[in-house]
Amino acid sequence: MADKNESFETKDFGWMVAMSILFLVLVAVCFWLEFSTEWGGYQLEFPQLLGHYGKVEDARDFQAGIKQIWIPKIGVTDRCITCHLGYEWSSVLPATIAEPLKPHPMNDMIAKHEFAKFGCTPCHGGDGAATTIAGAHQGGTGWEDPMLSNALAAQNGLTMNEMIQMRCNFCHRHDVATPGMDEINLAKVLFKKKKCLLCHVVEARGGTTGPELTYEGDRNPELLIFTHVQGEHTMFNWNVQHLTKASAVSPSTAMPDFNFKPEESRALTLMLMSWRRLSYPPEYIPDPEVAAAAMQPSPTSTPTPTPSATPVAR
Amino acid sequence: MGDKIKALWRKTSWAWSPESERESSEAIVKNFWLHWFPAKVARASMDWNYSFWLGTASASLLLILTITGVMLMFFYVPSTERAYGSIKDLQYAVSFGRLLRNQHRWAAEGMVAVVYIHMARVFFTGAYRGPRAVNWVVGVVLFLATLFLSFTGYLLPWDQLAFWAITVGTSIAKQAPFVGPTIQFILLGGHEIGQQTLLRFYVLHVFFLPVLAWVLFAYHMWRVRKDGGLAAVERVRNERVMAPKATPKTKSYSLFGLTPGTSVQVMSSTGLEESDQVFSSPNMSRRIALVFLVVFNITLLAAILFNAPLEGLANPSVTPNPAKAPWYFVWLQELVASTTVRFGGYTVSGALLGGILLPGFLLAVLTLWPWLDRSPLRAGGRWLAPERKRQNLTFAIATLAIIVLIMVGVYLRGPYWRIYWPGQPRPETPRLY
Repeated sequence: MADKNESFETKDFGWMVAMSILFLVLVAVCFWLEFSTEWGGYQLEFPQLLGHYGKVEDARDFQAGIKQIWIPKIGVTDRCITCHLGYEWSSVLPATIAEPLKPHPMNDMIAKHEFAKFGCTPCHGGDGAATTIAGAHQGGTGWEDPMLSNALAAQNGLTMNEMIQMRCNFCHRHDVATPGMDEINLAKVLFKKKKCLLCHVVEARGGTTGPELTYEGDRNPELLIFTHVQGEHTMFNWNVQHLTKASAVSPSTAMPDFNFKPEESRALTLMLMSWRRLSYPPEYIPDPEVAAAAMQPSPTSTPTPTPSATPVAR
Repeated sequence: MGDKIKALWRKTSWAWSPESERESSEAIVKNFWLHWFPAKVARASMDWNYSFWLGTASASLLLILTITGVMLMFFYVPSTERAYGSIKDLQYAVSFGRLLRNQHRWAAEGMVAVVYIHMARVFFTGAYRGPRAVNWVVGVVLFLATLFLSFTGYLLPWDQLAFWAITVGTSIAKQAPFVGPTIQFILLGGHEIGQQTLLRFYVLHVFFLPVLAWVLFAYHMWRVRKDGGLAAVERVRNERVMAPKATPKTKSYSLFGLTPGTSVQVMSSTGLEESDQVFSSPNMSRRIALVFLVVFNITLLAAILFNAPLEGLANPSVTPNPAKAPWYFVWLQELVASTTVRFGGYTVSGALLGGILLPGFLLAVLTLWPWLDRSPLRAGGRWLAPERKRQNLTFAIATLAIIVLIMVGVYLRGPYWRIYWPGQPRPETPRLY
């Protein structure tokens, strides 16, 4: 019996020791995971960069850690600047520095839209809360609104600058025309010229032959029928092809074939997809007349706009 | 030298060492933690191959979930506006927050599985016989508590996965005859999932269900002791009672000097011999610590390797295709889908048959099984006793069927709830751009 008891003890004790060691190893792994972040390396690099360009004091005062722009009234928690540390240093750092430390280009647009008031994601999209590259840019499983990157824009035949105008229109929806928003300005001209309101209700005005378009940007892409859509099954593609030739995408539709040029269809699609149910506080909504006045010196509301000279947020 | 090291170890690691047998026994009896257990425990219940220590593993998971859950409560806000953001914060900004949430998630899903396997073990060993029937019923209620703890926790991240899984789950509950709509209304706090639902599920998840689980767990343990330990002990006791024992020889003093003879045989209070038992402390307390450590390590490893799912913010106007219930309820969803009959344009929903009547019948049979089982008592406390062959087979087939339905629901069902075999291309889900 004594032998049996002893085997109990030694066996269990051996396992206890093994499991305790495994536990310590796992705890060590937890700490290693916690401190081996994707952003850690950039935060080591950044003060050196500042020092290199003569900002020794700022480099010394730099404190490592997760950084965020937090704007509760528009629901923004943007931790993008944890990696994109150079964003507000365009006066010191050259634009040739590689991402993510590259400074954000400074121009009239940025002067009117301060980082502290707007953050990053209202213009760029993506998941501002994330602190991993994939999590922030693509947003993970089931995240509908990825960051509007150059690659994503190129897939849709646009530049990033043009694609971002869709998000500008979240607030600038009621501008007749806005400086720097050539795509949307073109769409607004076409919208009037082709008399879309004859058939569609938008903001309580218009005919009821077609569906209401007030919140067209909130439509669920899964409810669209892609049988006759060429290329990728995206809401963007559906809209572009539907606007160009409605009868080809929805054979039973009452909508006439407008035979828009591809750039016109893309511009209209950007505008339609910008019409979302959003609630920005009134101080964020621009006065439509101010924007229109700003457009006066250079009437750019021509049918085919050229991309703006100063690339914004490339 | 060895003795000196031992003495030094004793001096540095123990503040006190017992001077007598009495002191050592009091050290155990006076200690709350060590007093939980009986002084001695049957060798048969210590056997790994009998119980696999699944009950201890379940309790370990409950403890892990309580500790990680309380820690998560410091960060989580049960509001439809802030819940999702607080989970994102845990995922990305809180120190060890991702691991904390992962461990809570995997421990929760593990607990559903382990509690079920524990119940299957009790069934296959016929350990619910006689007075243990009450504890079986308590166990069934504990299993349901585990399911509802997991289900209520599923909604809290307030992402698409949570929102639509709870939509599926509560819509099935609505199909119960007579009381269905009321049950759904009480669960949701209205007619659709919203702030009220989140708050109700939160209060159920962090207060009512955990308290229920812990109280029932305490009662479950108390019953195990009062019912005489694990059913395996019964087997040993029966062997001892059956086996004729040599009557002890005695010598008594008579008038004429020593008289050899025999005396009455006295059985120990438990019916077990000395050699059948070991001291609970340290044998069982060490074993419990070991099982806890194993379970903790497994959940921590899972937390390190796999991230808990988190999808986009809950959006009542965008239904994912397909929307699936949590995996432990997906077999019900599968039953609902396969019992739904269509005649032309007319559809008879399978929610009543597949979602309410069939699982309700299974649950009723499961609860009442100790009274339906007519096999002889000696079939208890043994794995797969031949006297219980038919019922073991039935239980195994039912379990297998449920596992198959879960597998089909989780892995094969794709958009429009159609079957897609592994390797078969699934239609791509439309994106925005």
